[in-house]
Amino acid sequence: MGRLIAVGLGVLLGASSALADQAVEPGFTLTFESHIRPIFRTYCLDCHGSEEEVGGNLDLRLRRFLLRGGDSGSAIEPGKRDASYLFRRVRDGEMPPRDKKLSTEEIATIGAWIDAGAPTARKEPEELGTGLQITAEDRAFWSFQPLRLPSVPPLDDSTRTSIDAFLLAAMREKNLSFSPDTDKLTLLRRAALDLTGLPPKLDEMVEFLADDKPGAYGRVLDRLLESRHYGERWARHWLDVAGYADSEGYTTRDEVRNFAYKYRDYVIRSFNADKPFDRFVIEQLAGDELVTNPHDQLTPDDIEKLVATGFLRMAEDGTGSGASNQDAARNEVIADTLKIVSTSLLGLSVGCAECHDHRHDPILQTDYYRMRAIFEPAYDWKNWRAPSQRRISLYSEADRARADAIETEAGKVAGERAKKQKKYVSAAFEKELEKFEEPRRSIIRTAYRTPGEKRTEGQKKIYADYPFLRIHGGNLYQYNQKAADEIKEYDAKIADIRAKKPFEDFIRVLTETPGKVPVTYLFHRGDRNRPKDPVGPGGLTIAAPEGQRFDIAENDPDLPTTGRRLAYARWLTNGQHPLVARVIVNRVWMHHFGRGLVNTPSDFGRVGVRPSHTQLLDWLAMAFMEHGWSLKWLHRTIMTSTVYRQTGQTASEKEAIDPENELYWRKPLQRLEAEIIRDRILATSGQLSTKMFGPAIPVIENEVGQIVAQRAERAPTRKGETAMSLGDHNRRSVYVQVRRSFPMSLMRQFDMPVMEVNCEKRSSSTLATQSLMLMNGEFVLEQAEHFARRLTHESGEEPRGQVGRAWQLALNRPASEREMRRALEFLTLQTVELRAMAEVADKNVLDTDREKVAAEKKDNDAAKPAPEPLSPELQALTNLCQSLFASSEFLYVD
Amino acid sequence: MKKPMLFDPSQGTRRAFLSHGTLGVGSVALAWLLNQDEACAKNKFIERPSYDLKPKVLPLQPRARAMISLFMHGGPSQVDLFDPKPALTKSDGKTYDSKIVFSFFNRATKRLLKSPWKFQHHGQCGTEVSELLPHTAGIVDDICVVRSMHTDINDHGASLRRLNTGGSQPNRPVLGAWLTYGLGSESQDLPAYVVLTDPEGHPTLGVKNWTNSWLPPVYQGTVIRSREPRILNLEPPPHLRGRLQQQNLEFLRELNRDYLQKHPAETDLEARIASYELAARMQVSAKEALDISQESEATRKLYGLDQEVTREYGTRCLIARRLVERGVRFVQLFLKGQPFDSHTKMRERLPQICRRTDKPSAALVKDLKDRGLLDTTLVHWSGEFGRLPVSEGDPKVGGRDHNGEGFSMWLAGGGVRGGRTFGETCEVGHRAVVDKVSYNDFQATLLHIFGLDHRTLTFKHNGQDSGFPVDRPCRVVHELLS
Repeated sequence: MGRLIAVGLGVLLGASSALADQAVEPGFTLTFESHIRPIFRTYCLDCHGSEEEVGGNLDLRLRRFLLRGGDSGSAIEPGKRDASYLFRRVRDGEMPPRDKKLSTEEIATIGAWIDAGAPTARKEPEELGTGLQITAEDRAFWSFQPLRLPSVPPLDDSTRTSIDAFLLAAMREKNLSFSPDTDKLTLLRRAALDLTGLPPKLDEMVEFLADDKPGAYGRVLDRLLESRHYGERWARHWLDVAGYADSEGYTTRDEVRNFAYKYRDYVIRSFNADKPFDRFVIEQLAGDELVTNPHDQLTPDDIEKLVATGFLRMAEDGTGSGASNQDAARNEVIADTLKIVSTSLLGLSVGCAECHDHRHDPILQTDYYRMRAIFEPAYDWKNWRAPSQRRISLYSEADRARADAIETEAGKVAGERAKKQKKYVSAAFEKELEKFEEPRRSIIRTAYRTPGEKRTEGQKKIYADYPFLRIHGGNLYQYNQKAADEIKEYDAKIADIRAKKPFEDFIRVLTETPGKVPVTYLFHRGDRNRPKDPVGPGGLTIAAPEGQRFDIAENDPDLPTTGRRLAYARWLTNGQHPLVARVIVNRVWMHHFGRGLVNTPSDFGRVGVRPSHTQLLDWLAMAFMEHGWSLKWLHRTIMTSTVYRQTGQTASEKEAIDPENELYWRKPLQRLEAEIIRDRILATSGQLSTKMFGPAIPVIENEVGQIVAQRAERAPTRKGETAMSLGDHNRRSVYVQVRRSFPMSLMRQFDMPVMEVNCEKRSSSTLATQSLMLMNGEFVLEQAEHFARRLTHESGEEPRGQVGRAWQLALNRPASEREMRRALEFLTLQTVELRAMAEVADKNVLDTDREKVAAEKKDNDAAKPAPEPLSPELQALTNLCQSLFASSEFLYVD
Repeated sequence: MKKPMLFDPSQGTRRAFLSHGTLGVGSVALAWLLNQDEACAKNKFIERPSYDLKPKVLPLQPRARAMISLFMHGGPSQVDLFDPKPALTKSDGKTYDSKIVFSFFNRATKRLLKSPWKFQHHGQCGTEVSELLPHTAGIVDDICVVRSMHTDINDHGASLRRLNTGGSQPNRPVLGAWLTYGLGSESQDLPAYVVLTDPEGHPTLGVKNWTNSWLPPVYQGTVIRSREPRILNLEPPPHLRGRLQQQNLEFLRELNRDYLQKHPAETDLEARIASYELAARMQVSAKEALDISQESEATRKLYGLDQEVTREYGTRCLIARRLVERGVRFVQLFLKGQPFDSHTKMRERLPQICRRTDKPSAALVKDLKDRGLLDTTLVHWSGEFGRLPVSEGDPKVGGRDHNGEGFSMWLAGGGVRGGRTFGETCEVGHRAVVDKVSYNDFQATLLHIFGLDHRTLTFKHNGQDSGFPVDRPCRVVHELLS
């Protein structure tokens, strides 16, 4: 029997990590609760336990139920696996009946447990309600443990902060230590790109190098954290988890959300102001419930809070843009919103519990619908409001009065127009009628004047025979062009009048309809057409201590709204919730180091990865809350730590011990995100426009099928476009329109997510098509030329000076002597080559008829005159600049 | 068996082979390849394995070297296309007394629905095919229709993942990524794994259908656009052509090598260097590979390029053949959304999508055969599941709901024995009952065909060896092979 248990242990050490939460120690026993039930939960309990009715009358939720057995008798015989009915069925692949079979290891675990006498960890409960319930083992899972401040291990010379102390303690167990600090310029570049997404400027580099007073680095961090670009950089991270998009998605129309940008701007402003994260969460979940003024008398502060609810308006919503199944589309908005809320704030995917109790995590189906009930007063699928009905106009009273007056004026003209049109139509009809003799003429006229439903068969035939009976405003031109033109003039006149209306600005919000409180039902197997019991609002059962489940009042009498979201948001941020603070500090860590302490940032459950440094994560979460949920405090604490300031270079003896750098003995290398690659190129070439906020820069498909930011020179044509939005196509990437069906090519190539729901973690690919884009893409070529011109402008014609400055601007460090030599050689080679090419081209043109070529060119490229070729020197420098943009050192940060 | 492009380990040492190949990747990678065993013996962490696309030494003798997957999204109806059921015809309208897993409850019925289309025997083998697929009927002697496919999931997303990634959890690497990881590439200048998307749009699950996920990024699928320019940025501007570009890339390579030297452990930096080399070669060879104007009139006609309804899909099938001919390992064709998902209006929708894909699919098999490529190229045709034998909604204007318990797939070439059917479903075509083949069985078989072993093809991820398919009982279906 000992041997058999050993099999089980080997198994637990090996593949089935999802089961092996506990360290395996000598004397360890398999128990039903810790090892067997999780397997059953994954494979069996759907039919044998999660519902009142169980298959074959066999309930697998307790060991004693197994002994009691079902229709086929007892399911196990403790001590004898081969005599156990359940084991045989599973071993022979008969159960579960469908394809999802247990792994060999899992079967072996069950066998070993039976052989060991089928032990339980404790006395089983006397009574058990229906469904899966939450067990003591579920409650023991790491991420549901209440937060407490761990004691900080001792510091030493290599540590600067408590963060370092935790990391060093883990490293020491493996004889590892921190790597030396990186050099000043690398640190500056790292910090600048990390916090602002822009490279350091030359004077900042010089200043930092010259500053050898203590605290120089701290002052750099101060400056970067105060930079308005900080918000632009870190807002983008939050917009990923919020699933930010400037279009509705869902249908092929993918309608543009003209006012979504206000939420983006809100996020940028919040980060820049270091808005406490708890307040940030409350505003996004329930900003509307904090506003007491009526919606036509909003203060700027009210507007800000309402705009914050844009967070809950990010899910794809096709209900106003032609979704064919409205009920499905509405419910998907709700389901996606729940997904966004749960993955971004709770680090859990609750979606599985929409149809049944979660197979891996202790999230009951009722929990899912309790969460849904929080949002249902605003997202009431039986009384739905399409996106256009979920806006609040920012018209002032005066604006509204003026608009009304203008509309009245337009109405008058429209009235005249209608009268005129009727007259002309009638005249045209009479004229046509003249072609007929009486009495035919009168018969036709009578038919014409008889309303459709009263027409006799004969009259219907007349209608079918004479198309002119269908004269109306739309085809009037076929009978009387002059009259039609006159009507058209009226249309123009009406449009002109309406154009005088003040611009009507809107905000996208989530609000409730006062007085309307829908009942939320649990849907059987997630099917909205099979509602079961009504469910009240509340938090996840597992997120509160046993017996203290957080229930929310159906309706807060002190608020015009139900108050559900506000109560929920306050509960999430009360400092006791086990997940919220852990999840956000983990995200911030992930962006600084390229991977999280929990490397599945939106799955803190069983399927997710366990934290690499649990105590550090808890310390960060507690300290973060103690410091007023300040993200800037968190950045500063992380970035002043030794772990962050280390070199990124490897050391082979350390690599031999920890090749994946799981213990953080060096700073991991990170590839820049798509937006930052584009921003860095623009900043380096000198073309970046630093204008902040406002409507998104539209994207268009250019003639070769690239989706690019629209240039300013084109006049606004589409509805909703304003000259302002077309201002600067070289603004930071966070301001480029995020159209789901139209992702900007350059950024998509570098893994910018296309928002289906939201993006918890970006991928980082390395593809030949990326290389092609950096080699031949229009944007890169253009910016390389701008960069070359900038170099010529700033450091003159002398190649040595140009190269030196190129390195400083692009790579934010001086060129080494070897690099300088190589670059100068390259410039010489290219210049020679280009000069030869230019001579050949000139000769070719001489040989043919110069003028003819020029004329043809003019015809072909009327819209786009061919650019003057650059001088060989400038072209060579441009090519050098392009190589710098394409270089790994430019695309990664170390 | 003809396999001229395969690297046969018996023909010489790996070292000898490598000296013939064009070596581009960083020196670390080369050192590792040349001295893999020694390096690993000394210390496997110092000389870390670097990931590349060089042909790998395979554990088994391969039967195929390339695969083209014609993915038929939405769940093609087996009883209307490949699996005729006289009993179903007879019982039309009767109540089906068996447990059915429905996905769309609101329109669910238990009324059996006979196929509105006729079946006939075709070819020498006599395989029965529905009148909706007249061209596929013409290649039955070359294909094996597996009628006993089954999966346990009825949901499109999860089912797609299970077929494409070997498991139902989101975010796993897909088949194409696994194959290129296990096999390497035979082309020095085209991507090993190419995805041909529908001009109308992405399939269900979008780009996740060609993700390398946690496999190294060199194994990600390269999308070739459905419209010109099919690969963006392929054409260098005049001042960057020829020698100028060579000098430029040489200069860039030196910059990138310097940086790699500072960070020798970062495989991403090596992949970056390799990707520039591939990109440079692609400029020439991809253009040529995609230029279908080189094809004869007869070939263009064969694929239906002369007809509006088949032109688009035919073009992609033809490109797939040209790519495979040039050493691309895995080509997958996708359709927008899930056009075979005929819950309603099946009588209109199913014929529509069949008309679009039938002729080109059959042409591909014929053409590969004529060129002697079919022996070493596996062609796969299937959706993510099948459909129920009962009607969903009104039998006249309705359709059929999802069904994972039994459905059909066809395979051609690549060592699969054609000219027959394999496996059976129950009388009404609902459940696979004889010679059942699960997705994992199919995947294990695929790997076997390529000379790989599903038990040993793994990748270390989160400290564990993860494989394809996900570890659970599965078998190589040897009976499918010739």
